[in-house]
Amino acid sequence: MSAKVLDALKATHGSAIESTETQHGDDIVWVKRDHLLAVATWLKNDPAMAFDAPVFTTCIDRLDWRPSHVPPGPPTYPASAPWSEGQARFEVVYQLRSTKHRHRVRLKCAVPEHDARVPSLSVLWPAFNWQERETFDMYGIKFDGHPDLRRIYLYEEFVGYPLRKDYPKEKRQPLVRRDDLPINPIKPAQPPGGGHR
Amino acid sequence: MTDAANPVPAAPSDSVTLTIDGMPVTVKKGTNVLEAARALGIDISAFCYHPGLPVVAQCRQCLVSVEKNPKLQPSCQQTCGDGMVVHTTDPQSTLARKQQLEFTLLNHPIDCPICDKAGECTLQRLYFEHDNADSRVDVPKVHKAKVVDLGPTVVLDQERCILCSRCIRTCDEVAGEHQLEFAHRGDHEVLTTAPGAQLDNPYSLNTVDVCPVGALTSKDFRFTMRAWELEATPSVCNGCATGCNIEIHHKNGRAWRLVPRHNPDVNKYWMCDEGRFTYHPLREHRLAAATVDGLPAGWDRAIRAAADHLMPLLLAGASSGPQVGPQAVGVVLSAEYSNEDNFALGKLARAWGTSHVYVAGKPEVPARADGRLRVADVNANTQGVAHITEALGLAAVPVSELAPEVRTLIMLGTELPGIDAGRLRELDLIAISTHERGPVATAKIALPAAAWAEAGGTVTNAKNMVQRMHAAFAPPGQALPAWEAIVRLAQATSVGTSNKISFAHVREVFTDMTQTVTAWRTLTWTRDVRPLALRFAGSRG
Amino acid sequence: MAAPSSSPGPSGGPSGPSGEPGRSLKQLVLGRKDIQDLSDTEQELPPDLMTINMGPSHPAMHGTVRIVLTVDGERIVNSDVQPGYLHRCFEKESEHATYTQVFPYTDRLNYVSPMINNCGWAMAVEKLMGLTDHLPKRAEYVRVIVSEMSRMTDHLTCIGASAMELGAFTAFLYFLKCREWLYELLEKVSGARLTHSYVRIGGVAKDLPEGFHADLTLCLDQIAKVMVEVEAMLSNNKIFRDRMAGIGAMTKEDAIATGCVGPIARAAGVDYDVRKDYPYSVYPELEFDVPVGTTGDCYDRYLVRLEELKQCIRILRQCLVQIPDGPVMIDDPRVALPAKQATYNTIESMIRHFKHIMDGIKVPAGETYAFVEGGNGELGFYIVADGTGRPYKAYVRSPSFVHLSTASQLIHGHFIADVVPIFGMINMIGGECDK
Repeated sequence: MSAKVLDALKATHGSAIESTETQHGDDIVWVKRDHLLAVATWLKNDPAMAFDAPVFTTCIDRLDWRPSHVPPGPPTYPASAPWSEGQARFEVVYQLRSTKHRHRVRLKCAVPEHDARVPSLSVLWPAFNWQERETFDMYGIKFDGHPDLRRIYLYEEFVGYPLRKDYPKEKRQPLVRRDDLPINPIKPAQPPGGGHR
Repeated sequence: MTDAANPVPAAPSDSVTLTIDGMPVTVKKGTNVLEAARALGIDISAFCYHPGLPVVAQCRQCLVSVEKNPKLQPSCQQTCGDGMVVHTTDPQSTLARKQQLEFTLLNHPIDCPICDKAGECTLQRLYFEHDNADSRVDVPKVHKAKVVDLGPTVVLDQERCILCSRCIRTCDEVAGEHQLEFAHRGDHEVLTTAPGAQLDNPYSLNTVDVCPVGALTSKDFRFTMRAWELEATPSVCNGCATGCNIEIHHKNGRAWRLVPRHNPDVNKYWMCDEGRFTYHPLREHRLAAATVDGLPAGWDRAIRAAADHLMPLLLAGASSGPQVGPQAVGVVLSAEYSNEDNFALGKLARAWGTSHVYVAGKPEVPARADGRLRVADVNANTQGVAHITEALGLAAVPVSELAPEVRTLIMLGTELPGIDAGRLRELDLIAISTHERGPVATAKIALPAAAWAEAGGTVTNAKNMVQRMHAAFAPPGQALPAWEAIVRLAQATSVGTSNKISFAHVREVFTDMTQTVTAWRTLTWTRDVRPLALRFAGSRG
Repeated sequence: MAAPSSSPGPSGGPSGPSGEPGRSLKQLVLGRKDIQDLSDTEQELPPDLMTINMGPSHPAMHGTVRIVLTVDGERIVNSDVQPGYLHRCFEKESEHATYTQVFPYTDRLNYVSPMINNCGWAMAVEKLMGLTDHLPKRAEYVRVIVSEMSRMTDHLTCIGASAMELGAFTAFLYFLKCREWLYELLEKVSGARLTHSYVRIGGVAKDLPEGFHADLTLCLDQIAKVMVEVEAMLSNNKIFRDRMAGIGAMTKEDAIATGCVGPIARAAGVDYDVRKDYPYSVYPELEFDVPVGTTGDCYDRYLVRLEELKQCIRILRQCLVQIPDGPVMIDDPRVALPAKQATYNTIESMIRHFKHIMDGIKVPAGETYAFVEGGNGELGFYIVADGTGRPYKAYVRSPSFVHLSTASQLIHGHFIADVVPIFGMINMIGGECDK
């Protein structure tokens, strides 16, 4: 049943699909950002697809991606090569499920760092409202068309996006002063304009 | 050493194509099968092979089967031939390698918990990735000497030694001195020096790096920190003008050791012992807070005091006499500091309008120069300072030629060679320095600077290569990168904005500098590298 | 709330002990007027909407969550649910720990059913390593046993606590006692009462303790008895039904579109249970039913959970009969630790032990999403592995977070007091929701 979704997607939205792959039985479709909303709408409304149940949204930051123990030979799937400058840094991930056909699919959308935005799918599946807020909170991805895009776990005053790979794990940003921490530990990680080229 | 020189597919005339495990690969003529397999991503186990050393095929750990060849071949010694068909996963060669590993482990002591190499040990890695079989031996292990003092820097544990001879070849190749050799035979074979001799060449600690087990350990590093706890940040050695590429291994805000990083154009896989110890001064006699007249002061007060002292001098006309005016102010650049620090200070000197610009640095050590990695110039950035002063149009001279009318000296670093104590007493010193020693101890105002391991930047080595250092950990106390102190000084003396000395990030200094220095125009600033936890760095060892 | 008719108490009356006429002691001490002294204008409630805070520290806010309510009198017209007070950086911490070191973190996700989280994490890693169908049968059964016990503790807590919040304290005490029996058993199994960290990649840490079968049988018998009592106390209790039935109802379509799973979705008529729809472990070998509700209100959620408790007992009894003998850890040197005896005495096992502990289990590069039926529904782990000993990314699809996102919609138009049963039946677990 798995190849069916990928084949149907390639047949109907060939120009919107960058590539497809199957890993450990999970179907993954790389969708071009401009077509994400159209593909998602079709996946939801087409009776043969009927992806009515949203599962989760998240994001992958590929900044530190240097895979080891990859099978020898040419790369088998897009992410088996190390990340390099010039590639899109983020991947926004949407997992969908169909209650009718019981199939699942994972949509992926490559998002460059300097323009970290994707169309919001919360208009199609209300569950993505909070999930996209979480992704925004943790990775700083802007979801265009989201009705209420603000931080969800962290407080408004928080500087930076903690799940990005360049946010140090040891960094602390207490909202209330604590005696066991230096008085002024918060120094912007990067000056305005970003700490890279 | 996984980042071996990748064989590049070359023109058909000097390249060969062979098949390894069914995958075709084209490599340069003369490449060995082991390297060709690594280019394909096939990891063949090996102990004695090191890409920077001659091949001896001593460990027999890299045996593979080559079609039309009845015997298994050590892949490190087997040169690639056109049309050669190699199998690395066939039962025969797999079994041979497993059995070889079992023999290697036969007499190996159960030392992992107390062994300094644990976590970055080739033996551990190869066993875990290539064998993983249970022990079948219940006879007692052969015991040998546990602590053999080989020389001033290295200790040998003969039980752990697997007799790969990497260290022997390292001494031969890198230092050019044959100081290590095997003695005795069979189970009783040991690594040793000649009677009465020591392992004391200036590159001795490279033997510790190449040792695939914990047989050779560094006296400097052993028992101080577990290898897998460390984090690595790429940098450049600041010990001399060679600019060996290194990794700073650090944890908890301090460096624990420096190890060489492969760069075929500079240092290949090696560095000298002296360079390895340059992390010690990062923690000794550091200037942690700004001082004014020898008393601790905050940054704001120190900068204000400096401005109060400088402004009357800078604003006075040339007719007011030789004791005032911009010409009474001298600026000392330092060949020990990064390009960015020197560029910012050079620019400030130009903005102030002084023509007294000097260069200081540690005096040369002619005895160091050995035609290998060590050179006489023990300053990391002599060439960089030369480029910068030239591009900024500053006529820089050695600080020993200090002009008599200079009354106030703004200096970077701790060195003022050639200035006697009497002359020093006449000077008002404003020092921007990492350490509190030499003239800095008596400076009127001292501003604490971040050391090379603590601030990102670039240095230019003797071959005019501009190499990038990354910040590994935070500077002590209130220290700031020197360029930042210079920017504050520029703002306080009201020349910062008008002369564009108002950088907010080292990247901005770098960009301005590459636009000014013609030779560096094509250089670009790459993304900061974050420390890499060695524990999760893939296959170390 | 002040009683509408306040009778003058001993200290009330026109003249207090201070002798000052017209002022009661209360007025003198507190500066407040008694209700009968209020003028008509003072008694009128202001006509505009009022914004009040519920939480973050509130007895009915499980864990800590804050709701900013806009109320028109007692009726909720708008609300903003704000989670995050229990955010412990599960994902960031996991990215810096070995795969095995993540187990204690998963314990603290849904801390009422930690065994299921353990299993979910282990299954995700096993899927990446291709070990899914190679585990010893006994290990699979042990996992199902501890998972179902955890599901029981989850449901017992949910029903008991919700009943208590509606005034039925007896049900709470009874069910918490049942939960304690299960916790004691799980403590015997794992060594810890709450944060078990019992499951390992490739199996479980150790075999079931001696006498476990008899203990669990006895425990299940007792719980079955208690459940009869509690059901009799609650199911047809007028107060309980009035507070639950018709409250916080959700349609089937809404439940699907908002991502609801587990008992909440099943109460709304969505027949979805991971154990049946995407069967894993040894669930195909076990017989059980999936209860499905019709109205999707709080009462149906209660009934679904109650029925699931009975199904858990049914599964556990089958497991005790069917569980085979054998090892509880896979025989694969990539994931299994060597025996302690060998570790101390042979260099081979020492190296393997060392590599497992210090470098972590090496998981081949790739990504996967694996999910189990948690106490609150589909609990999934999305792992991206880069071939090293730690996950490059570890995302948890926490049902509580998804369910809490529907809370605003569910409490809309209800009274403030209805927030309590609705929240109780959403069963938001702070650790899981806030990650």
